[in-house]
Amino acid sequence: MSADYAHLCSAIVEQCFGKVSQSVSDCLFSATTRTLSQIASATKLSRKEVGLALSVLINFRLVNFEATKLNPFVPEYSLSRQDILCLLRYPRYIHMVQKKYGSIGASIAEELISAGSDTASATLTKCLSDEDTRADSAESYRNIFLQMITDHYIIKRPELILSEEQDEVLPKFESNECDYFRHPNVDLQLIEKIRRGEATLAEAGDSNMIWNVNYDRFHQDFRDAIMIDAIERKLGENASECFRFILKIMYKTTDPWQRKLSNQITFVDIKQTIEKKSNNLDLMKHLDQYITLLTDDSLGFLRRVGDMGGGLYVVDMEHAFQSLAFACIESVITERFGSKAARIFRVIRFKKFIEQEDLQKEAMIPAKEAKSLAYNLFQDQFIHVKAIKKAGGGGNGLAKAFYLFQIKEKDSVRMLLDVCYKSLYNTIERSNFEKNEHTGLIDKSLRLDCIVETMKERGESDEYIAEIVETFTPPEVEILNKVKNRIKTLSKAELTMDQTIFLLQMYQHHCTILPTGIGKYK
Amino acid sequence: MAGRGRGGKTGTLTAEQLAMLGCVKDLPVQSAPQPTFPPVMNKPIALETTEAESFQLMWKEKFLNRMRNSPYYVVSESEEKQNLEQKDWREKILGQKKPKKQPEFNYRAMPRELNMSNRKRRGADARPKLLTKKTDIEDRLKVLEQKELKTGAENEQDDAKKESDSEQDDEMDDPEAALDDEMDDENDYGNSYFDNGEAYNEEDDNLDDGPVI
Repeated sequence: MSADYAHLCSAIVEQCFGKVSQSVSDCLFSATTRTLSQIASATKLSRKEVGLALSVLINFRLVNFEATKLNPFVPEYSLSRQDILCLLRYPRYIHMVQKKYGSIGASIAEELISAGSDTASATLTKCLSDEDTRADSAESYRNIFLQMITDHYIIKRPELILSEEQDEVLPKFESNECDYFRHPNVDLQLIEKIRRGEATLAEAGDSNMIWNVNYDRFHQDFRDAIMIDAIERKLGENASECFRFILKIMYKTTDPWQRKLSNQITFVDIKQTIEKKSNNLDLMKHLDQYITLLTDDSLGFLRRVGDMGGGLYVVDMEHAFQSLAFACIESVITERFGSKAARIFRVIRFKKFIEQEDLQKEAMIPAKEAKSLAYNLFQDQFIHVKAIKKAGGGGNGLAKAFYLFQIKEKDSVRMLLDVCYKSLYNTIERSNFEKNEHTGLIDKSLRLDCIVETMKERGESDEYIAEIVETFTPPEVEILNKVKNRIKTLSKAELTMDQTIFLLQMYQHHCTILPTGIGKYK
Repeated sequence: MAGRGRGGKTGTLTAEQLAMLGCVKDLPVQSAPQPTFPPVMNKPIALETTEAESFQLMWKEKFLNRMRNSPYYVVSESEEKQNLEQKDWREKILGQKKPKKQPEFNYRAMPRELNMSNRKRRGADARPKLLTKKTDIEDRLKVLEQKELKTGAENEQDDAKKESDSEQDDEMDDPEAALDDEMDDENDYGNSYFDNGEAYNEEDDNLDDGPVI
């Protein structure tokens, strides 16, 4: 975890949960674990404020707690550092749910995300109380909620073990993997009563079953989408459809977060599945050719490992994300230093180790320019230098050494990831700065919009409304539009940068043995 | 000469030596602040906004506003005061901003120390106790007053009764018992008066630090 990531996390927490939570998360970020008193003294906040901030962060699964080793009655808290970035991905999660389950699913996910974690009854009550969603029946809400559980988009939190002693210092939880996606009993009649105020949520039978959004299920879909989109761009729609079916078959036998290779898939399996589920005649007719295309392609997503069952294949996640991550790095280099620098980078990667003079020849770039570009790349840590000293100098003169350019793949990715964290932090800060600078103007515009809307509802004359609108002078309108555009561009940059971060994180998961915190159930 | 040993001469480097080391004599003086960002070599590519992105941007804005108004957005007391001071006077009068809801957590699934409402109750218990004590005193005084009134009325009735009784007692055989009754009647008013006074003095003596003057 770098300092850039710490700054980014701090900015994200501040954006969503305020300054008190930010101070608490900063304090926890810098330490492995801390007790309530330690946090209070380090942040100089009152115990009440720290307690409230910790409760919020625990509710959103950003802070975990356990008893200290020395005293089982004193809890100590730790921050789930890797999960903070998920707060930025909430719009993507909602969009995905919207695409899969429509507006009902989006409404359920929105309520669950906004509450951090909640019971099924409470979530459905909130959804049904919303004025925009009253048209849909309660039953459809319940069914989609249960469907989302079945599809693993919603996961149950470890269940609380209720003890006889009511006021226990530290609660105990029971974690059972088989139980994570067990359907709750949702009483629609009771929900209706709760809505009418005739009953309370405490009466619902599912108060012990707390649900939240399963981040890694969404990440799995994002990862698949990256791979499928890449194939579609390079090999066309049919090949991408074929690969989508291969991934579906893969998930039947393989853990979705297996790091390197999937388990083996036979050609017969692929053929049968496509014949059953696809309507694409072209794909069915030329299936063997499409599979050969996928295995022969330089992206290397699919690999043939045997001839049994018409051919045995594995999905090579390691190779896939290596190709994708380096395509991303090359595009960054092209944007920053131009296409010639990208060519130099490719040559070094292909040759593994290369001397300055050979580099110029291989890349077919004039010596001076090649030198300058290579040094620029070296300065920004995209490439590295390895010094090899010739053995047995012996005499008084300096030992002769060869300086070879090389690429340390993992280091380059990590460097780029840090750059992304830093620029994402800068983007958020800049956006906040713009908002703070023009708070008055933004507030005025909002107030004016509100007034105009009320006037329209009242049926005031257009002339009178136009007169009110004119109170916002043309220069003010111009400034406001500029600010809005700037904020929109920054927000868009945030989304794009998060996509790059996600890709590089996937590289780290599949191509290294670093702990990434990604798992099946989260 | 004394004092010219090792380290005696600590003068700065000569101009020649500085030039040898690559230091230029006239260092550039910064007259204006540096630009905030380094000049951009290549213009960044404009991002295209797809339908999905515009949905995400809109939702994000909505979500952040929702979070800001939710009870999960924790603001320190000092910050809240500052915000109130900065608030427009019209808003203050209109009271546009609704009071924030208190966050509801499942405290059973969290460490006990985080549930501050428990602690509050303990602290808040002290005052009601005092108040109840005060009301007790007042009630007690009222009860005592009523008792006094009752006992006064009863005494008067008793006196009347006793007068008639004494007439009857005169006829009694035991002269000592008759004498005691008389003594009791006489001392009843006087004793209680003196008793109260003594008790009062005694209490004063106990409470006062110094001697009573």
